[in-house]
Parts: sequence; C-alpha cells; structure tokens
Amino acid sequence: MTQNDVADDVQPSIDGWKVNGSLAMRRQIMDRTATVLSLVATGVALLALGSILFTLIIRGAGGLSLVTFIHSTASPGSNGGLANAIIGSVIQTAVSILIGAPLGMMCGIYLADYGSGWMASTTRFVSDMLLSAPSILIGLFIYQLLVVPTGHFSGLAGSVALAILALPIVVRTTEDMLRLVPISLREAGIGLGASKWRVILFICLRAARTGVMTGVLLAVARVAGETAPLLFTSLGNLDWSVSLNRPMASLPVTIYQYAGSAFDDWVQLAWTGALLVTLGVLLINILVRVGFGRKGA
Amino acid sequence: MIGLTNGQMANGEAVAAKPAISVKSLDFYYGDNKALRNITMDFPRRKVTGMIGPSGCGKSTLLRVLNRMYDLYPGQRATGEVLFDGRNIISQAVDVNRLRARIGMVFQKPTPFPMSIYDNIAFGVKLHEKLSRSEMDGRVEDVLRRVALWPEVKDRLKASATALSGGQQQRLCIARTIATRPEIVLLDEPTSALDPVSTARIEELLDELKKEFTIAIVTHNMQQAARCADQVAFFYLGELVEMDSTDRMFTAPKETRTQDYITGRFG
Repeated sequence: MTQNDVADDVQPSIDGWKVNGSLAMRRQIMDRTATVLSLVATGVALLALGSILFTLIIRGAGGLSLVTFIHSTASPGSNGGLANAIIGSVIQTAVSILIGAPLGMMCGIYLADYGSGWMASTTRFVSDMLLSAPSILIGLFIYQLLVVPTGHFSGLAGSVALAILALPIVVRTTEDMLRLVPISLREAGIGLGASKWRVILFICLRAARTGVMTGVLLAVARVAGETAPLLFTSLGNLDWSVSLNRPMASLPVTIYQYAGSAFDDWVQLAWTGALLVTLGVLLINILVRVGFGRKGA
Repeated sequence: MIGLTNGQMANGEAVAAKPAISVKSLDFYYGDNKALRNITMDFPRRKVTGMIGPSGCGKSTLLRVLNRMYDLYPGQRATGEVLFDGRNIISQAVDVNRLRARIGMVFQKPTPFPMSIYDNIAFGVKLHEKLSRSEMDGRVEDVLRRVALWPEVKDRLKASATALSGGQQQRLCIARTIATRPEIVLLDEPTSALDPVSTARIEELLDELKKEFTIAIVTHNMQQAARCADQVAFFYLGELVEMDSTDRMFTAPKETRTQDYITGRFG
C-alpha cells in the first residue's frame, strides 16, 4: 500500500517544465508585440528629436562665426550678427529666473508644507492652470500691466512675462520634490529641536535640491525659447542694448523675424540663432547635472 | 563635564533618586482611537528603561509623547501628566524646541541629513548654542569619539553623511542627538534596521551612555532588552501591563501575559 503510493509519487504524470502549448505561444506573441511597439514608439520620438538636432546643426553651424557673436543685428547684406539678441536672451532669461524661481520655490514650500484647505487647493489649481496657459496671453497681460502704463516696451516687461511662465513649473516641481522627502527626515530635524521652517529650508530643501534644480532648469529651457510673450513686452531691438528699461532684442524674436524673411543672410542667422538657443539650454543642463550629480546625496 | 546638566552633579545621589520623567495617568488618542490607556510609570535618572510589547501596543507612541513629536500631527492628543523638570510637558506651556533638545530622539531608520558628517552634528548644536569654530570642532570630535565613530570618519568629516554604512549612520544619529547635550535620550528600535555587528556596537554604546543620560529604548528584541535595560516595561494593547527590574521581568514576571510574551507564546 505505502510502497505503491511512493511509486506513484516518484513517477510524474506530466513534465513539470512544460507549459500548455497554445498558452505559451500566445504569451510569447504578446510579449514580442509589446516589445516591438514600444521600440517603434521610442524610435519615432528619437527620430524626430535627432532630425531636429541634425537639421539645426547642418543649417545653423555655417553661421557660427565671430561676427555672429560680436556684431548686432543689421539690415540685410551688411554683415550683421546676433550679439544684441544673444545678450538680450541671456539677460531676460536670467532676470525672469531670478524673479520666478524664488517665488515659485516659496509657493511650492507653502503648498507642500504649510497649505491646507481651500487656500492651498485654489493656489495649486491656479498654478496648474498657469502651467498650461497660452504664452501669448501672458504676453498680453504684461503688456497691459507694464507696457501700457509706462508707455514703452522694455526688457523688464519681457522678463516679467517670462517669469510668469517659469513660476508654475518651479511651483509644481518644488512641491512634488518636497513631498518625496521622507517624513522620517523631517521628524529627525524636529526631534533635535529645530523649528519647522528651519527643517524645511536646511534639511528638506537640501534633500530635494536635485529635483528642485531640475525644475528650475526646465523653467530655463522653457523661457529661453519663448517668443510669443516677448512680442508685446520687450518687442526686440535692432541695436545693442542691455538696459532693462528699453526694448530688448532676444534670440527667439529675432529667429521669428528672420526665418520668414526673403534674405539669405537673415535666414542663415535665424538657423544659427536656433542652434544657439538649443545648445545653450543643453549646456546649462549638462553643467548643472554634472555639478549636482557629484555632490548629490 | 559633558552632558551633566545643572542639578544632576551638584546634588548627586539625592537628585538621582528622583525620576527624570514621571508619567501619570496618561491617555493618548489618534483621532478617536485610544492608543494609550492610563499609563503611569517613572523613568529613573541615568538608567535604561526598556519598553517591549507586540507591534502597535503603544511603545513608540509613548516615546513620541515624551518629546511632543505628536504635535506635528493634527488629530493626535494626549491627556494626563508627563512631569519633566517640574512641569507637565503635555499641558503646561513649554518651548517644544527646547524640550526636544533636552529630550533627544533616535529613530528606527538611520536618518542622516543630506549634508556632511560634521554639519550633521553641528546642525543641532547651532540651534541651541553659539559656539566658536574651535569649540564646535571640539564638540563634534567629542561626540564622534563617544559613539566610537571618530577613528572611521576623522579624515572625512566634510564628506556626505549619506555615504556612510547603515550602522555608521545610526551611530552618527546618536552622536547628533547627544551633541545638543540632552538629559534624556529616547531610542525607537534603534537597531532593527542594522546587522548583528552594528547592533552589538550600538548596545555597547548604550552602556556608556547611561552613565550620563537617562535612556528609554523601545525594542522588539528580547535579548536586547535583557542585555541593555535596567528596568523593563511590557506594553500590551495600549496598556502598561507590568514594569519591573530586568532580572525580575525575565525570570519571574507577575503577569501571565508578560510571561507568555517573553517566552514567545504570542507577539
């Protein structure tokens, strides 16, 4: 009796490694299909990106000469460059981030650590709306707010318009990143007798700094390439000008004006300008990534 | 004389007889849920009080009452008395930041701040004292020596604390806590995330620390409680079932629930 049982157990009736044939086949087909589809999707995205970069380099690199960097924009055929547009873009982007990033971070801190109830949810809602607001509307808003009362276009108006674009990006990433900081780290700070603001500022924000910086960089990338909000605010300037009180040139507006023109040298400068914007944003990204990557906790 | 605060030294044994913290009829609520029921116990000065019991029985909750950590969470409240230095810290006006410097806490998971080893210690000290650069250097070295971390980190005080191993991180957290010169150190399962070797080092450390500090340690490890504690309190379902000297608790507990728990019949 017992011997029989043992014998039955030892002899397996089916091979344990073998899976039901059709089921295995179906799984394999599903698996392959999913892999191929996601590879194709990745390929399409990369192709678009690569094609843009490739075209930019091929068309834009030709205009990368000293003249481009030291001469301001000029009438067609008179050996103009992009110097005023480059400095204008740098100044307006920098000022907009100087305004938008601290405000955005403070708002993000409020939403993550202090806000509750209707006030916080309204702020979050408005910030998210701002994130998707058409940038030309923001340009018009600043036009009414800063250009009409002062009676003239200015670099400052352009910077403020860009700052409003940067704001919600920084708000959202700061809030998200602060929420990712483990509660145990906050309690550890509180447990040492630190006040709440100190824990947020010196511990949480430090722990989240890579993420928060990424948000600021996203904002830089976004505003550096914006054209629409500048059309009604800083307008553009044909001459070299670094005064925030006067109309100011910028790369995107210059690209917008030159790309559709009938003059070959202007079109060339438009391509070069586009390449410069792209490379500039790329460079900042790489620099910060390297800098923060090393010190990153 | 580091860590000895006014009164402790001067009056010597007379003061030592008086408990560092006296808990009387303490109830604690998470919203409507009563987590601690009528707790009455003393934490004797410069002794280690071990707190044992199954998960969710209120041990950690009691620790978090002692330094008012529960303040962070709306909906949590305590009633009763927790007497510390002549005040009922849960009802009378106390500066909670000062309270937390005097009653330090070490957590279950090591929580190094995202800054250098040196700054991890200096952070807490700076909150409560103004020290010169050299005094701060001295304080940092002193506490790192006392947690036996100094030889391992003396050449990289400026390196990130998060690069340390788990055991080193926990010793750093203890160093950070004693650097603010507390009178009481609360430890919430300080070794549950550590390997046996690191655990042994922390336990050795506790023996050193109890010469200066009053220690309350929550642990799930019976051997740890037996090794480290002078007195042990057994909690069950939010109640303090029994508290006695470690010897008596592990050899002749009065309550059958205590007996069952420490012999591993439940929990």
